This record gives sequence, C-alpha cells and structure tokens, in this order.
Amino acid sequence: MMVIAIAVSIFSVGTFLSAYTIARREMSRNYLGTNLASAFIELDRVDEALVKAVSEREGISEAEATSWVGGRAEISRNEWMPVLLFVVPDFETSHVSTVAPDAGAYPPSEQTILVEREVLPMLDLNIGDAITIQTPNGTKQEIKISGTVHDPALAPAWQEQTVYGYITPATLALLGEGETLNILKVIVSDEPYNVTAIESTVSELTVWLKAQGYVVHEIRIPPPGRHPHQSQMTSVITLFLVFSFMALLLSAILSATMINGLLAQQIRQIGIMKAIGARTSQITSLYLVLIVLLGIAASLIGVPLGIAAGRGFTGVIAQLLNLEIYSDAVPAWVYLILILMGILIPLLVALDPILKATRITVRETLNDYGISRDASASSLRDGWLSRIRFFDNTLILALRNTFRRRGRLILTLSLLSAAGAMFMTGINVRAGWQAALDQSSADRNYDLEIRFNAPVPAQQVNSLLANVPGVEKSEAWSLTPAALNRPDALEIVRTYPDGGHGSFTLRSIPLGSDLIATPLLDGRFLQAGDTDAVVLNQNARAFFPEVEVGDEIELLIEGEVKTFRLVGVIQQTLSPSSAYVLPETFARATNQSVELTNAVRVVMREHDKEAMASITRDVEQALAAGNVSVKVAVSEALLGEAISGHVYIFIVALMMISTVMAVVGGLGLMSSMGTSVIERTREFGVMRAIGARSKTILRNIISEGVFIGLMSWVIALPLSIPLSWGIGYLIGMMSFRSPLPLIVSPMGLVIWLSVIVVGSIAASAYPAQQASRLTVRETLAYV
Amino acid sequence: MVTSLASKNQVMVQPLVENHLIELRKVSKAYNVAAGKFLALKEVDMQADAGEFVAVVGKSGSGKSTLINMITGIDTPTSGEVFVAGTPVHAMDQEQLAVWRGRNVGVVFQFFQLLPTLTVAENIILPMDFCNTFPVNERRERAISLLEKVGIAEQADKLPADLSGGQQQRAAIARSLANDPPLIVADEPTGNLDSATSDAVMQLFANLAAEGKTVLMVTHERDLTQYFTRSIALADGSLVNGREK
Repeated sequence: MMVIAIAVSIFSVGTFLSAYTIARREMSRNYLGTNLASAFIELDRVDEALVKAVSEREGISEAEATSWVGGRAEISRNEWMPVLLFVVPDFETSHVSTVAPDAGAYPPSEQTILVEREVLPMLDLNIGDAITIQTPNGTKQEIKISGTVHDPALAPAWQEQTVYGYITPATLALLGEGETLNILKVIVSDEPYNVTAIESTVSELTVWLKAQGYVVHEIRIPPPGRHPHQSQMTSVITLFLVFSFMALLLSAILSATMINGLLAQQIRQIGIMKAIGARTSQITSLYLVLIVLLGIAASLIGVPLGIAAGRGFTGVIAQLLNLEIYSDAVPAWVYLILILMGILIPLLVALDPILKATRITVRETLNDYGISRDASASSLRDGWLSRIRFFDNTLILALRNTFRRRGRLILTLSLLSAAGAMFMTGINVRAGWQAALDQSSADRNYDLEIRFNAPVPAQQVNSLLANVPGVEKSEAWSLTPAALNRPDALEIVRTYPDGGHGSFTLRSIPLGSDLIATPLLDGRFLQAGDTDAVVLNQNARAFFPEVEVGDEIELLIEGEVKTFRLVGVIQQTLSPSSAYVLPETFARATNQSVELTNAVRVVMREHDKEAMASITRDVEQALAAGNVSVKVAVSEALLGEAISGHVYIFIVALMMISTVMAVVGGLGLMSSMGTSVIERTREFGVMRAIGARSKTILRNIISEGVFIGLMSWVIALPLSIPLSWGIGYLIGMMSFRSPLPLIVSPMGLVIWLSVIVVGSIAASAYPAQQASRLTVRETLAYV
Repeated sequence: MVTSLASKNQVMVQPLVENHLIELRKVSKAYNVAAGKFLALKEVDMQADAGEFVAVVGKSGSGKSTLINMITGIDTPTSGEVFVAGTPVHAMDQEQLAVWRGRNVGVVFQFFQLLPTLTVAENIILPMDFCNTFPVNERRERAISLLEKVGIAEQADKLPADLSGGQQQRAAIARSLANDPPLIVADEPTGNLDSATSDAVMQLFANLAAEGKTVLMVTHERDLTQYFTRSIALADGSLVNGREK
C-alpha cells in the first residue's frame, strides 16, 4: 500500500513535469522548425531579382517571395467561412516560413489547393474533395484539395474558424487574382529573436527598397519566436508546472500519511527489538533503509507510469494545438527529480516519526495491548466531541474515532482538502473561462459583421439591408489596420501572417451605438464633439505603457502619422487590440469620406441558429444584388465558435489535472483508513465479542471515512477560492490581459462532494471489509 | 431472553438431557501450526449450571482460553458440541454468534477493552445498541443503574482513560451485564489489578453468581479460590480434575 501511495505521488508529479518538458520543447521545435521569417514586408511587387538582391544584403540571411490573399470559402450553400490563401512560388525550394507535407500531393498539382491538415476535419472534407473559394477580385471557383500540409506557425484552423490554403501563383490567377507576388519574407542574420535588431535591419532594408522604387505598404514583424498562440501554450504549460509543484506537495503529505501509518503498526515490533538488545540507532537505520527500499520500488512503478501519462497528456495538448510531437523524450533531469523525490521525500517525512517511534520505551511498546489509550482520551476529555450525542452510539464511535489520531487526521485532511481544492479550482477556472466567454458574447450585441472589398456608401448598404426582412438594424463600423508611430515613420505592425493575431485595428463606432458593451477601466467613452478622441481596449492599451488618459497618442494609419487624444480605456474580453473613434475622426484619419464604410454590423430579428443562417444568406444576396462586394462575413456564431475553441484547451488541461488530483486524494484516504483499521483490529474484535455484527463494523469504518471526506470538503471549499482566483488571474492575464472572473461553481462543489462521498466509501470499504471478515479470535489475538 | 435468539437465527435448539446452562460434549480443537497439527483441546466434556462461579485454571498453553472461546463462540470446535442455555453454539455462523453472544454472554477481558473514544456510559450502552435489547430511551438509565451496581455511577460520563484500572474493570463488568446475559465469561479479569482492587472485583463476580448468573473465569491466581464455587483444571488440552469447593 505504501509503495503504491509513493508511486502515485511520483506518478502525479511525473505526469505534469514530463508533460511540461515535452510540450515546452516541442512547441518551440514546431514553431521555430519552420525557419520563421523575421519580417514580412508588403510591397507593390516582389520579383526574383529583388529576392536575390535582398538575400545578398548585409544583415539578411534569407529572403523569399510570397503573397497572402484573404477570401472566403463556401462551406455549404450560401454559408461562408473566412479563407486565407498562402501563395508559394515553389513548394520544393521554399525555405522561409515553410510548411511540412502531411498527406496527399506535395507540391499541389496544377489548379489544386493544399489545405492545413486541421481544415479537413473542421469542414468534414477529404483529400480529393472540392472546395468553393471566392477571392476579393474573383468569382466563386471550385478547386480540388490535392493534399494537406502541417503549418505549425498558425493557430489551429478549428480554433480560428478559418480555412488555410496553400496554392501556386498560377492557381491564384485561376481564382481571379493577379500572379504578381507582393510579400517579401526575410530572416535577419544577427539576433533573429531580438525585435529591436530585426526592426533596425528591416528599417535599413526598407530605406533601400524605397530607393529602388518599390512602394512599401506594411511591415509585419510578429513577436520573434513567439507562436500566435504562445500565451495559450504558455498558460497550459504553466498550469502543468504549477500543478507539478502542487502534486509534489501532495505527494509529501501522502508519504507522511503512509509512513505514520506504517510506524503505528510497528510499535510493538520496535519494543520487541529493543527488548532483545537493538539500539535506537540500529532500529532507526533499519526503518530508514526500509523507506529507501520502498522509495526505490515505488519509483520503479511510478516513474514509467508518470512519464507515459505525461506523454499521453502532451499528445492530447499537441492535437489541440496542432503540434507535431517529433520526440517524446523526457530530459534526464526529470527522471532524476522523480527518483530523488521517490526516495528523499519519504525519507524526510519519515525521519521525525521514525525517531519518535524508536524513542518510545520498551515498557510502553510492550504494554500496547491492542486498544489505544492515547490521544483519543486527551483530545476528547474536555472537547466538544465528548458532548456529541446521537441515538446510535456506533455513529458517535465513528465520529470520535475520526479525531483519534490528530496528526494523521491533519495529514489526511490536508491531502484530501488540497486535492479537493485543486479539483474545485479546475472546475472554477473552467467556469471562469466560460463566464468570460459568455461575457465576451454578451458584450457583442450584434449578430453579423460584413467586411467589404472596397468602401461603399453606408447609406446604400443600410438601405439594402433594411429591406431584408430578418434584419432589425445595421450600422457602419469601418475598420483599418493601425500601427504604432516610430521615429522613422515606418508602418511596422506586430500582426502575424494570419492577419488576426497581434493585429491592432482602428474602428469607427457610430455615436451612441449599443452594439458593443463598453465597460470602462479608465476615463470615459466617446461623446458627441470628440473630434480627435480615441478609446482603447485593454489589449491596445498595453501598447502604450507610459500613456495616461488625457495624453496624446500617435498612430500610423495607412502610412501617415495621426494624433489622437486618449479619453478612456474599456475592457473587452477575448477581443483583439482595438482603438475606437467616432466616424468623423475615422474619416479624417483614413482620408476617406465619412459617408463611406468598409464594414457593417447587423442585428437580426431572430436568434436561433437556422434563422440566423437564413438571414445571413438573405443579407449576402441583398448586397450582391446591390453590387456590394463582400470580403468576409463573420457571424456571431462563427466568432463564438472561434473564441470557445481558444478556451477548450484550458478546459481539457484543467480536467486532466483535476482527475489526477482526485486519484491522489482518494488514495490518501484509502491509506489512512487502511492504517486506522489495522491499528484498531483488536477493538473490532471487542465490538464483535459484545455483539456487533459485521455490518456494524463495516458501517462504523465507512462512516469514519465519510466523516473525514466531508470534513475535507468543508476545508477544500474556502481553500479553492483564493486558488481559483490566483490561477484565474495568471491564466487570464497571460491570455488576454484581464483576470478571469472568480466563479465558485456549484457544479464543482457538487461533483467533488459526490467524488469525496463515493471515494470515501470506496476507500474505506476495502479495509472495512477486511476487518469485518476477521473472526473474533483472530482480532482479539491481533497485536 | 436466553433462547429467544435461537429461533430468530434459525438454529435448532436441541433438548438437553440435563438442564445445564453450559454443556460441552467431546469438544476438540486443533490448530494448524508450522510444526503440524496442534491439539489445544482434546475431547473435553464439561457442564456448568446457573449460579455457579467456576474457575478455569491451568498452566499457560493448557487450553484455558481455548475452552472459554468455545463457550463464548469466539472460536469454533474442530469436533464436538457446545450448548449454552440450550443453544448449539458450535452450529452457528459468525454473524449469528455475534448477536447471540451480545445477548447471552457477557465477556470481561484482562485489559478491560473499553472503547477509548466512548464514555463509560456509552460503552455500556453499546451492547444494547448492537443487539437492540432495550428501548432506546431506557438504555442510558439502565447503564447508570449497572454502574451504580458496580459502584462507579459518578464516572458515567468520563472517558475510560480518566478511570483507574479497578474502575475500568468495574465498567467492563457493567458492560458485560448490559443485556442481562445468563453467562459471564472473564479472562483473567484481575490480572492487571492490585490485590485490594482484585478482591473488590472478585466480590462483584461472586455477587453476580449469587444472583443466579453463571460466571466462568480463567485465572492464575491461587489466592482467589475462596470466591469460586468450583474450579476445573486443564493440562495439555484435557480436563485433569473438577473440584467442588
């Protein structure tokens, strides 16, 4: 039993620690293995000669041409999903920000497309099927999927609800776009992970490009070495690391519980050994050696199982993050820690009880006649327990026995309470995530956002939409990418190639619009007459650490420096970095007429899924009839799917962690009950001798287990609250710079209560059954 | 009260030729030990009647404890029959024995064996709870009256650890009387007491026998013989004599 308990401790730490090390390493390997571009420079054209010239420049190690085209894919009749096409001139020789062949053809055959491997399950398609795609300048085109690739630099397609496609320039032309490539991917040779060094090199390159007559539109320098979902990944591996330490703590408690139990059974043997001449030091050494041997045996079981489970955990995480596990090797230091843990922790926690046990006098140990006379008396004599009365003395007996060995009770309660608190924390954090998700959904009071390929008169669009029966109202919500102003006036953004992650958008919001909630973190929201005012959400606010409300901020909008006065900061859960201005301010910033818009947000009259899909189709048809070219339509349902996809991985990770914690806690209770039963074997004999049936003994022991379980539940509840807050804060801040709301999930309380009651019964049933099976003679003869 | 449980437990009560409270017929008990089979009791025949205070004496390993274990149903014979108040104890299973023992036999141990987490009164109520022999609201009253009988009523709400050895043994005797059994079996009850306390405890047992209880006591102490009405001696698992006082 003790070997199993220590093995389970090692197992739990091994699971989390190996998952942490494998996931951390493989995440980097996947992302960096693509030979990431340091920067993506959008020009008017990129040809082979330019690529060659740039490659040979000082400070640049590699360069390559590409294009990105955003469009949409028809996933069922008149139902669309955003598509992002990556144009690769030569799949065979591509060497910057590469993708790996996964299945089917590579490179894609003529007039076919490769898709990211996560796209097929998301759309329920197979290689060989066709997909309908429409690009900004083209018409709907059916194109065959000839294979899949793995692109570890992108967030998984199902999380983004986006189709990622890889095509040749010829296929792009077929879709209605020009063959000319316009993105230059470069890798800097010095300090490729230092953003300042990259900016410096790219800045010099841009000056040169401009001197050569190229038009530089935008420079994207995503955070070097950081995956678009790095914060998500870091949160998950941080969870693993945090719970590794917690599991370590639990394992120490579990070991202490077990060793106390073991020694309790050895008191008489120790007395006999002393009586026949053993010295205290000899007995101490004997037990320490025994503990070391038990630790070694436990390590032999726990280490391989823990590492196997950690690999399993990583496999699940990798699947959710679209990572390829190239190696599931666990570093040697993890093995070392686990083995040391298996031996040292039991030794450390055993030292004190061993010394105490071996210092008991021979008389005391040999006088132990089976029924304990110790702590129970002193703890009950003047305590509230002696005043408890039930109609049934066997229940009093169970309750009082619970408090009989205070030291062991404290250890068992610590273990179970810690496990319970962690379990409930898992559920609470999950509920916090769900609440953040719901809040994010509730903050968006619109059902559909439609972006256009070119600005159109807002009046015209609103009129078209007003004629669609299911549309309640529509508002113009123009948007444009924004960048922080720099001394060299280069428009450098932190946006990833997918165009979403790391993006910073300037948004026009109609005065008094109620389509988004605007909970203020600082200052105020936009008001009539705010000619140059801007409101940032908390993610955008992070770009301006020194700026206070009332200060001016400078943004680069379409290559020009624009100045705004920050009037407020709002909280937007699970939202990209956005700056909000009134339509007049937006028009001035973009040098565009205030009458025009490049996006509208639509509120529908009905909100069931089918009705909304139908209204979306009607909206698209109405716009098409009015010759308004739609770039992409993002429904609330699609956005909700995408956001919940981002949350799912945490939920899975937390549930896996909670399960391990529950198992460790249950085992702790079982060991404690087992020890308690063995200690009281003679007592059960006496009970049987004065008329107790087996079922009375059984009920007595199980009641005691349930009492302990219920007490731990009561302690775990308040413990889980600060823990939930702390982990929610950590994950929330990592993920979207805002702590998760603290939710005490009633479901968590009820589930853990059920787990603890059922677990307590199960954990005490075995020792209880063993005790009830003993004959009276055996139990009275037991020493 | 004595035989009522037999029918409840579906055990046939065989009529006895003579009306002894305890009757053992050719009872043997063998244990398998490392050296082979060890015969702890060898075809022992024995009887005891109501009101007798019987000492069971013999050297260590002579079979004294095995003999009383046969009578209390704590252990079962390998062969032979054990009847207590007409009940065939040898034919009952462990569950039947537990309830039967609770109602018909009061057991007193050398080390008192009071449950340390229950008060003295609660310890005495426990057999009544197990066997459901008295109405719930009368159990405490009965426990107090039994404690008065053994002279420690004022200790009722204390825990056993707060009592002296003699007081604990009196409490254990009170517990043995909880269900008003016809038979009290005591295994060296004075072995852990000083001589003055031993005398007081022995007087209690003698009083119980005088009231009509049958008391069977294992003892090593020769100077207690004045309390017994009869003693039986065992050697190597066999009865060597039976001596009337």
